[in-house]
Amino acid sequence: MLSLSSLLKRTLPLVIQSAEAHRKPRWLPVAKSKIYRIPKRPVISEEERLELLRLHNNYKTQMRSIKRFYHEEMIKEKSSRESASSEMSQRIEAEEWARCVELNEKWNAQVALDRQERRKLEMAEQDEYALKRMERADVLQKERIAKASEEIRRQKELSPTFITPETLEAAIDHAIANPTDYNFAIDLKGNRYEGRDVQITYAKENKAAKSASA
Amino acid sequence: MSLPPASGTGRYFAKAAKSIRLIRQGCTNRPFFHISVTHRRRINSQPVIEQLGSYDPMPNTNNEKLVALNLERIKYWLGNGAHISTPVAELLGLSGFLPIHPRSYMVAWRNRHTERENLAKLEAEKAKAAEAPST
Repeated sequence: MLSLSSLLKRTLPLVIQSAEAHRKPRWLPVAKSKIYRIPKRPVISEEERLELLRLHNNYKTQMRSIKRFYHEEMIKEKSSRESASSEMSQRIEAEEWARCVELNEKWNAQVALDRQERRKLEMAEQDEYALKRMERADVLQKERIAKASEEIRRQKELSPTFITPETLEAAIDHAIANPTDYNFAIDLKGNRYEGRDVQITYAKENKAAKSASA
Repeated sequence: MSLPPASGTGRYFAKAAKSIRLIRQGCTNRPFFHISVTHRRRINSQPVIEQLGSYDPMPNTNNEKLVALNLERIKYWLGNGAHISTPVAELLGLSGFLPIHPRSYMVAWRNRHTERENLAKLEAEKAKAAEAPST
């Protein structure tokens, strides 16, 4: 059975989009209409042939030398890479490492100084911010207390008019003795007529009625 | 299943012959090529060992055919004895990395030849036209 890992690690894709998909397969014979077709051979003149031969010879010679050059360069590079692990190069590397460490420590010290200064500034800023907030909270609290005390004072002034259990009877008597009627009517001109059972006298209309009767 | 990835996933055999070739990656009516190194006996639809550049044969708005080449890696593969296909050799020759390929010269002189012939034909026609009204 096909394992999943082998399926995932395959080099060939499952479905190949072949560029030659539209071509006729190799095993199909020549089409009937093309059996006696003879492809035209390219005509190359003798002069051109000789010129091409010369050019190709030159090109091949040059390419051979170029390829050899790159091959030798590769070999040289490989050998230099192998010699990189020698004692001399190791010593040089160690020196370089020490120099780098020194430089890094210097940079670290500088950065630490900068950081301390920055932290101081930041702490001062935070303190200032906190103090400001506290002051603002104090002011708000004071304002609130003042408001409350003002309210208390106002209520104390009003306290003689409050109805207490002792004065309740008297207040009820007073209310019964002085009934108040909040009902009122209003006419088209905006005149108010207080009370529910008030007789309304239409002054102007009466006059008009009188004139009409007269 | 998508197409095989463009670069670097092909199986690599150190001793097998390699070739640097153009691999068509465009779609219908839009050719586009990767310049890749693969095994010489491997078909183009398989994953390549490494992509070394690209070639767009259709001229862009500035009438340029763009070619990108990773010359360092081409040098490396040439040093490892990779073969170069003719189209890639032509491109490398025109880019100045290798000597000009003989095929480029051939195409050039053939183009010049046809142009000269066309010009001669045009002149002959003109001469005929000039002769015709006089007679």
